[in-house]
Amino acid sequence: MTVQAASVRAAGAWERVVGARGVGMLGIGLGALAFWLALPPVETRTVAVPVAIGIFAIAAGLWAASRGELRVGWGAVAAGILGILGGILATRSSVEHLEIVVTWSALTAATLRFATPLTFAAIGGMFSERSGVVNIGLEGMMLMGAFFGVWGADRTGSWLGGLVFAMAAGGLLALVHAFFAIHMQADQIVGGTAINFLALGITGYMYIDIYGTEGTPTDLAGVPDVQFGWLSHVPPHGLGNFLDDTFGQMNLMIWLAFAVLIVSYIVMFKTPIGLRIRSVGEHPRAADTVGISVYRIRYGSVVLSGVLAALGGAYLSIGFVHSFTENMTAGRGFIALAALIFGGWRPFGAFGAALLFGFSSALARRLPDAYGQSAGTLFEALPYILTLIAVAGVIGRSIPPASVGRPYKKQ
Amino acid sequence: MDDVPVLELHEITKRFASVVANDAIDFDLRRGEVHALLGENGAGKSTLMNVLYGLYHPDEGEIHINGKKVAFGSPKDAIEAGIGMVHQHFMLIPVMTAAENIVLGTEPTHGRILLDSDAARKRVRDLASRFNFAVDPDARVANIGVGQQQRVEILKALYRNAEILILDEPTAVLTPQEAQELFEILNSLKGEGMSIIFISHKLNEVLDIADRITVLRRGKKVGTLPREGASEAGLARLMVGREVLLRVEKSASAPGEPLLAVEDLVVRDNRGLEAVRGLSLEVRAGEIVGLAGVDGNGQSELVEAITGLRKVEGGRIVVGGRDLTGASTQEILDNRLGHIPEDRQRRGLVLEFTLAENLALHDYDRPPNSRFGWLRPGRMAQHARRLLAEYDVRGGGPRTRASALSGGNQQKVVVAREVSREPRVLLAAQPTRGLDVGAIEYVHRRLVEQRDEGTAVLLVSLELEEILSLSDRILAVYEGRIVGEYGSDVSEEELGIAMTGGHGPAEAAA
Amino acid sequence: MPSVAARLALYQRTGGVITPILTALVAFMVGGLVVLATTGKNPLGTYKAIFDGTGLNWLFPWVGGAERTSAAFELQQTLILTVPLMLTALAVAFAFRCGLFNIGGQGQYAVGSIVGVQAGVWLSGLSRPVHIVLAVLAAALAGAVWAGIAGILKATVGAHEVITTIMLNYIALWVGSYLVGFGGPLQDPRDVSVPVTREVAQSAKLPVFWGDPVLQGLHIGFFVALGALVVYFVVLNRTTLGYEVRAVGFNAEAARYSGIKVGRSFFLAMAISGGFAGLAGAMDVLGWEFKLDLTEIQSSQIAFIGIAVALLGRNTAIGIFFSALLFGALLNGTSTRSLDPTVFKPELAGNLTHIIQGLIVLFVGADLLIVYLWQARRKLGIAGRAGGPRRKAEAGA
Repeated sequence: MTVQAASVRAAGAWERVVGARGVGMLGIGLGALAFWLALPPVETRTVAVPVAIGIFAIAAGLWAASRGELRVGWGAVAAGILGILGGILATRSSVEHLEIVVTWSALTAATLRFATPLTFAAIGGMFSERSGVVNIGLEGMMLMGAFFGVWGADRTGSWLGGLVFAMAAGGLLALVHAFFAIHMQADQIVGGTAINFLALGITGYMYIDIYGTEGTPTDLAGVPDVQFGWLSHVPPHGLGNFLDDTFGQMNLMIWLAFAVLIVSYIVMFKTPIGLRIRSVGEHPRAADTVGISVYRIRYGSVVLSGVLAALGGAYLSIGFVHSFTENMTAGRGFIALAALIFGGWRPFGAFGAALLFGFSSALARRLPDAYGQSAGTLFEALPYILTLIAVAGVIGRSIPPASVGRPYKKQ
Repeated sequence: MDDVPVLELHEITKRFASVVANDAIDFDLRRGEVHALLGENGAGKSTLMNVLYGLYHPDEGEIHINGKKVAFGSPKDAIEAGIGMVHQHFMLIPVMTAAENIVLGTEPTHGRILLDSDAARKRVRDLASRFNFAVDPDARVANIGVGQQQRVEILKALYRNAEILILDEPTAVLTPQEAQELFEILNSLKGEGMSIIFISHKLNEVLDIADRITVLRRGKKVGTLPREGASEAGLARLMVGREVLLRVEKSASAPGEPLLAVEDLVVRDNRGLEAVRGLSLEVRAGEIVGLAGVDGNGQSELVEAITGLRKVEGGRIVVGGRDLTGASTQEILDNRLGHIPEDRQRRGLVLEFTLAENLALHDYDRPPNSRFGWLRPGRMAQHARRLLAEYDVRGGGPRTRASALSGGNQQKVVVAREVSREPRVLLAAQPTRGLDVGAIEYVHRRLVEQRDEGTAVLLVSLELEEILSLSDRILAVYEGRIVGEYGSDVSEEELGIAMTGGHGPAEAAA
Repeated sequence: MPSVAARLALYQRTGGVITPILTALVAFMVGGLVVLATTGKNPLGTYKAIFDGTGLNWLFPWVGGAERTSAAFELQQTLILTVPLMLTALAVAFAFRCGLFNIGGQGQYAVGSIVGVQAGVWLSGLSRPVHIVLAVLAAALAGAVWAGIAGILKATVGAHEVITTIMLNYIALWVGSYLVGFGGPLQDPRDVSVPVTREVAQSAKLPVFWGDPVLQGLHIGFFVALGALVVYFVVLNRTTLGYEVRAVGFNAEAARYSGIKVGRSFFLAMAISGGFAGLAGAMDVLGWEFKLDLTEIQSSQIAFIGIAVALLGRNTAIGIFFSALLFGALLNGTSTRSLDPTVFKPELAGNLTHIIQGLIVLFVGADLLIVYLWQARRKLGIAGRAGGPRRKAEAGA
């Protein structure tokens, strides 16, 4: 009996328990497992292991896809292929190289660090776009947060002051975007482009004007880390160490991102406000006819998106590197936009995408240590390639809110 | 006091730029009655109701609810005053469930913060069962039929404790069975003390359901009369303002060889459902065939399939003896097929183009408009000038933008473009929608002229009157199939029954 | 909702040539206020210093001697910058007329410059005209292919071009960084400590027609860009392809109904746009950069400024020429080399440019605002001038 046939039978049995979607999810998990087994600490050295598990993953994906679960199904197929490729590469690599790159606790911690600014901005973008206003100005709003976080922390001597300054600045810039998008009915893409230019100019100008060429002060009040010493005592010892190394000393802003994620999910899908935001983004006239103020909802959502994006920027400056440099967001706002789209305009979807993109960034930063400078660089393109594939509809189409980008004219 | 009307409109006037859409209209509604608002397209019915619903602000006049004067700044005010409206184009969000749509804006909550979806579901079920109909609160609106969607709209109003319900052309999209079910619901609402305004331009329907009837014509109120003693003929006279309905002068037709043949055609709509289901028809040289049907029975999909704009799933399309199934739009149009599309501003014209450019919309890539890929604007303008004179287009020359023209003249440009290509087959989809009487007569005359020159004309219209006055042969379409064939002497009633799924004689014969 | 292109047409009719000038003036005034508020310096003095750095004073006949020599040099630098600005603006404009927003000029420019520089390095041994033509064509083709991906995705699955071109920008950025970066296949192997490509062969360098070839004089790419403006106008207004593109841009539905293949127009419009951007990359690497380094790929903003140029120029050939001149002058006038630091810090001025740029795009995007302003101006004008006659008319009525 072939591996294929066996796995199809297994998938069939599994389907009766969890349904096609579950089979697809299992496939995605198997794809990840195929890769993981070839990495430390297990480090299987035979190619057959990841290949066999990867084939199971692909079979499960095809099964799920044939049952109508296209997105999850093709996701599992992709995961299986990537798992096999990754597994082959890893088994061909020397053990020393692998262990330099793959230190799970460090990798997970780095993933979370890279994913946090993306999460804030992507969830911000979700509010704006779910209400029907395209926000490609996220990049600029993040940049505002990054600079004003530093300036606020410097002026008030407190990181809290920094966050307040950052949120106010991001919200204000978002208000400009909202005004032009909503009242002026300007093209929202053009407006967002302008917002990015403006933020680049304003932050750069103020940075040079205030801090000159010496750079921001070295004794800036930064957002503190949260210590969880007890994590290392979690049994068994290996797990305890892993938890401690990963979560034991994380920045407060990372925990805040988790909180924002959960609260955003509840607001968007479990409260009347969320229902109204979504209705305005889908069919503003219908919302208007039941007495919902389309303009008010859109203004609120866009300003909130600026506030959240700015928090992401502030994390970069006063939570992570403790300084500001010109254009320091360097395209993270656009990755956040990509995460939002890749995640299907949903909070946990966006977060999942942010984690994936964060992981690829984390890996990209560690690969050069073992495999040379150029290997990591190419890896940085991965989030964008994945998003391109997602919008092209190869792995189940990402469908935006129906009225996103369309100005609403009251009658 | 019961003799105070629940609603009174006093001398409502609403102007748009230079057009007076409502001219000092009086209207009143009594408790527990169905009051129909009757008028032709463009008579001002929808405008008046949008004023009442707070979507438009009247320029003059007053609104009284239960004897008290009110002013509505937005629909919210109207909703609070107990007015509910079922719009002609449903105000529903397709990706949300019925319950979500119904409670939107007035949601039940747990502790004022969280949405209470159980309560929402329960209240939707309770309301529906009180008026004897069923709606699945958890069904996505995108996945339910039009009749169900309309019930969701009605529930939206009931959920907001509406005492006055406005229905704007509610039967336009319904099958006869669905319409009948709607009438039952309306009667049961009436029984509960609800007051209903029923907007329509269909006489028989109004006589069926209404207690009183107010007729509007060109923005003015012509009269209000009780159903007792009202007749279709009398109402029609009030509505149109003249004794004789529009009739087109034409001689008897002399049909020749078949130029358009559609055989067992199957076409899907945008949602992937079969909209045309094995439809067959034939149009001969020198005849006008009218396709009569309620909106949404596959007419648009049929026209799009014939013109190559929509994929053909099954069957054949033969134009002038050549099988053009699956051919590109350009190929089909080049095979001497003319198409007057159903929405001239969206599909017939590029409004930002000049008239010369619009007149070249099919033939821009061949002489005299261009040579070897190069446009020749001089020749284009010359050609346009000739056509504009020949087809009596007023209000601009070759270099005028199409957007600067009136609706009637815009349609003349479309007609000029299509007819001047000397088509063997001419498709006219809703060719007179929204035009004034003069322009309607112009378009009709041109269609008859085409017929007399030996063109096969397929006329698709939602206006029975237009079908009856122009066609030599009439086909009734229902749910994507031809359900009956008639001569031009068929009665409006007989045709109405057939195109709403009733049993016409032709079908009985077949 | 009317399409973007339809709104643009409305805008052109209501505003004509005056609104873009107004837009720029308002943006410069706000920029001046920023200078005044933050440094307390006279904004006019600052703008004068920036102006002197642009070399535009060369056009004044009374400027002579050493000042004239340095003005000539600065003007050459300004015009060198206008070349990619005009071309990347065309990359935005052509797609725009088809109803598409090509925000991916930067990626197409990057792909064009990478292919251009490599063609310049590899094809050495050919005669100069042949080498130049081949390298330029290869770069334009690369840009066209890169943008064509977005065009195909739009035409086939309807993927929004804004999203796809943003993604393609970053893919180009990172793949480009990999190619020319440390240990990358295109890095100059002679010095692995510097992330830069080899220099293009002499035979691939564009001839300089004004100024000293060694001191970065003005290369013939300037005429290529001017030629591209003419080609843009002619293709759009005088060919059947341009007719299709405009019809689709104004009303894709009507175009489809009349038999125009809308998907094909989307693809061609994007590919031609990308060709312009790729051309811009070739002009820069073959005209004055001669090699491509990592920072150039990672931090170049030229095509984003091209968006502002196109919008301010109302996507017309002549408008793009003048707004490219404006932005080129602004870029050069605020560069560290040109601006007198005792008058105004060049680093500040560079960011001031970004602010002005942002304001211009913001105002240009808000056609309603401009229409309001326009109507308000006319109302005020009539009220001011025609106060007398109107009163008379009222008395008569």
